[in-house]
Amino acid sequence: MAFLTWLESTGLSTWVREGESIWAFPSILTLHTFGLGLLVGANTIVNLRLLGIGSRVPLEPLRPLFSVMWGGFWLNAFTGSLLFAADATERGTSVFFLSKLVFVAIGVAAMVAIKRSAFDAPPDAPVGSPKLMALVSLAAWTAAITTGRLLAYV
Amino acid sequence: MFFGINIPHLHLLLNHVPTVGTVVGLGLLLLAMARRNDHLVHSSLEVLFAVALVTLPVYLTGVAAEEAIEGVAGVRPEAIKAHEAAALWGFMGMQVTGLIAWLGLWQSRRNSRTSRSTVATVLLLAILTMAMMARAATIGGEIRHPEITANPEAVEVGAPTGWLTSERIGTFVTDFPWVWPAAETLHFLGLCLVFGVLLAVNLRILGAMKGLSFAAMHRLLPWGILGLGMNLITGMLFFIAAANQYTQNVAFYWKVAFLLGAGAHFLYLTVFSKTWGLKIGEEAAALDKFVAMTGIGLWVGVIYWGRMLPFIGNAF
Repeated sequence: MAFLTWLESTGLSTWVREGESIWAFPSILTLHTFGLGLLVGANTIVNLRLLGIGSRVPLEPLRPLFSVMWGGFWLNAFTGSLLFAADATERGTSVFFLSKLVFVAIGVAAMVAIKRSAFDAPPDAPVGSPKLMALVSLAAWTAAITTGRLLAYV
Repeated sequence: MFFGINIPHLHLLLNHVPTVGTVVGLGLLLLAMARRNDHLVHSSLEVLFAVALVTLPVYLTGVAAEEAIEGVAGVRPEAIKAHEAAALWGFMGMQVTGLIAWLGLWQSRRNSRTSRSTVATVLLLAILTMAMMARAATIGGEIRHPEITANPEAVEVGAPTGWLTSERIGTFVTDFPWVWPAAETLHFLGLCLVFGVLLAVNLRILGAMKGLSFAAMHRLLPWGILGLGMNLITGMLFFIAAANQYTQNVAFYWKVAFLLGAGAHFLYLTVFSKTWGLKIGEEAAALDKFVAMTGIGLWVGVIYWGRMLPFIGNAF
């Protein structure tokens, strides 16, 4: 708790939270939304394909989408850290925020697992069930967005 | 104010598009069916989709116009209420018509023949929408034109508004505390769908994922439309429940402007022949890449202005 209080009181956190500039909270939040669109949007495309949408379409060419996902992930890890620091005492103790982190972790784990099993493993010997992983991924991102969005209201 | 045109003025300029547009679209469709001309069928579906797009700002600016003339002498509030209720039906009818018209265009790209049942559905919906638009337009005219009012006594009472009115929708959204957050969540999920799909399709045109033909990417488009539909419905819930947060909000008008461009670009991706022909490994022409960049830029703009509603504008 002392750490959270300190984090929230740093100059950077105060600027993000209270800065009058459009580059403070508004732009960081907007970048966080773009990161979300990139990360979850690209994940959704791969998941839909694994679940059978356009199953005649080869999977391999979709590989560049993982760069999009990681780009979105790092953008949001960075902007998310700033947003967290700005409201550390509130976010750090919020059930919604902590469950959001868990869902993000599951989503990222599923993303890594899908890449390994459906893209990197030899096609004749896939590891695990890509379909199940796609379902877990869709559910985890839906839950992460839901809990994240509820942070603004609850 | 843009170029001396304020928002109520914009409503008066745009409000002819849905009424005249449904007639034109429907006329083209009937002509196409009489001539058994598939190209003309596609054109009529494209016209109806475009009219559905333009109907969005017509409805939105109408609410702003209502706020502007509510207190003006000689304006009958009953006529405004009745016009708004009729317009809401017309708006919804037009959006459903536009959606099915899009579906018909998407199907006809995939199969060489246009689906007859889809065209028949569009025909029926367009007739219904034309009637709803005509009603909305007639009542709308009576707000400021007593000289055309056939039955002035009836106007004093107001036309029947029916069960579905913007007031009822607004009450539903504000009475239950879960509706707004739930709709916001769906709005963000829809954002991921539509943004993800359009990013992937445009990236293919730009040269990433060249191992896929454009036709393969084209399969994804209905998922983009699903996201767009989710966001249209949830977005309208926000707008109807808290119109005053948006009608005076410059970020909102920018968002709608970018959305119209993005909608037109969506139609382009669905029907344009040159991109459709992109085979596995084939590079798109420079102009098509430019259009793809523009498409991504339009969606970035929609998200940017949407997120900036409370910061550059006055929402919440």
